[in-house]
Amino acid sequence: MIDFVQNTVDGIMFGSSYALLAIGFTIVFGVMRRLNLAFGATIMLGAYAGTWLHVHYQVNVLVIALTTLACTVLAGIYVERLCFRAVRRDAALASMVSSFVIWMQLEEVAVHLLPERTYPFPSLFVAGSFEIGPFLFRAEQITMLLLAVVMVGALHLLLHRTRYGLALRAMSENPQAAGYMGIHTEWVMLCAFALVSLVGGVAGYAILATDEQITPYFGLWATFKGLIAMMLGGMGSLPGAIVGGLVLGMVEAHSQWYLGNEYKDLSAYVLLFAMLVLRPGGFMGQRILSREELAFRRV
Amino acid sequence: MLELQGLTKHFGGVKALNELDLTVEEGGIIGLIGPNGSGKSTAINLICGVYGETAGTVHFRGVLMNGKPPHQRLRAGIARTFQNIRLFPELTVWQNLWVAQNSPQDISRQRFLPRWFGTTRQARKEIADLLELADLAHKGDELASNLAFGEQRRLEFARAAAARPLLLLLDEPAAGMSRQEIDDLGQRIRRLRDSGVTILLVEHMMELVMGVTEQIAVLNFGHRIAFGTPGEVQSDRAVQEAYLGTDATESGPAGGSA
Repeated sequence: MIDFVQNTVDGIMFGSSYALLAIGFTIVFGVMRRLNLAFGATIMLGAYAGTWLHVHYQVNVLVIALTTLACTVLAGIYVERLCFRAVRRDAALASMVSSFVIWMQLEEVAVHLLPERTYPFPSLFVAGSFEIGPFLFRAEQITMLLLAVVMVGALHLLLHRTRYGLALRAMSENPQAAGYMGIHTEWVMLCAFALVSLVGGVAGYAILATDEQITPYFGLWATFKGLIAMMLGGMGSLPGAIVGGLVLGMVEAHSQWYLGNEYKDLSAYVLLFAMLVLRPGGFMGQRILSREELAFRRV
Repeated sequence: MLELQGLTKHFGGVKALNELDLTVEEGGIIGLIGPNGSGKSTAINLICGVYGETAGTVHFRGVLMNGKPPHQRLRAGIARTFQNIRLFPELTVWQNLWVAQNSPQDISRQRFLPRWFGTTRQARKEIADLLELADLAHKGDELASNLAFGEQRRLEFARAAAARPLLLLLDEPAAGMSRQEIDDLGQRIRRLRDSGVTILLVEHMMELVMGVTEQIAVLNFGHRIAFGTPGEVQSDRAVQEAYLGTDATESGPAGGSA
């Protein structure tokens, strides 16, 4: 029982980062109906910039964190310019393919920046862990959870209480009408990419600071985790992304404990497969699916 | 205020609009009528930038609008409503209006942060006024998708007005409305005009067009066939032929209000 609770708690803490990654995918998908495959690579490149600073100059952790976030945002803007702005509105597939190409490109840049296979990534805390009763808590994971809660809270306020957030939501509901209401859709989109890159950068930083190492494959890893969590929750749904991330974290934690490390990823894929067969809209996506049906019927 | 010169739009081989010349003076209510497929909606879409024109020019207050995207045209002062309602269904009524406040005055008056991350008292007051105009004051916190059809139409009207346009294009605002609702709409259009908005009304419902407009342009097969006061247009022979076929001589245009 203690193991079960401990696993669940661990899963939720790590899953909070998955949730942030999924949010990055889901916001772009919700607004543009396009998949940004370069999202993971964006985060990886930002983190590589931080690592580069860490390897060459012994600077403060905070400076590295800020560099990571700033470079992730810049990389996100670069991706938006190159494969979402440049590709025409109705060519969704083309921008997905080009985002895949950009992924490869960003990975190349990272490898040229730091050619070795792995590099150390600075951790946030020296003091590792503490115990409450029978349960063990790692400081990094608690930080991860707190960061995720803060990010989600801020995002919620932004999306529901500000004009920018409403403009973004209006665009996701009817991009054309938003344009005719004077919303500068391209500007809102660019800001959205910067925003999700920031969210993803925070998640990436928290994960890497926990792992204390980075490889160029971090982009692939982040893309996988984010996409799976998003699809579990339901494409384009923000609460769905959070639920999907937490569920993914818990399933991984439990399967790692009960089945072994080699089944950790496999169980996540099995879960996703079952979800796609039984409930293709995801946990929260059903409502969105039916809303789209409704919209089609109205047209 | 609005000047269309030789405005032409071809869709493949279909000439949807052919060399339309039209001048809309400031402060009026202009009607744009014509049978189905005569190019009315095409004209509206060209004015607000849905797609590019094949030939011709759109001048708004002396500024060439060709090639400008819709949001820039709105910021120049051209707002529109849609024939089939296009609200933001998951936003509340109040939010639908808030997010549409994008007039040049709003943008220059409010600095970046308060504009995007808060609301000013004046913005709130304008929204309250619009809710009152559209008779939706009690529905402010309702999701737009939960409104009845007539309420959605009124919200769309208010949302277009929220941008404080100089020229408002109404694309068949009375479609599907009852007689009472059409009368209310007519009054609302006049009230908006009295507050300084020029209105271009595209409409099938002749009662509304004949009731509120001061001048009417009639299109048929992409050509302008008549222009004048409601009375002149009704007695115009070309108009009668367009609506009723060549045999018609005695009755007025379709709709039965003549």
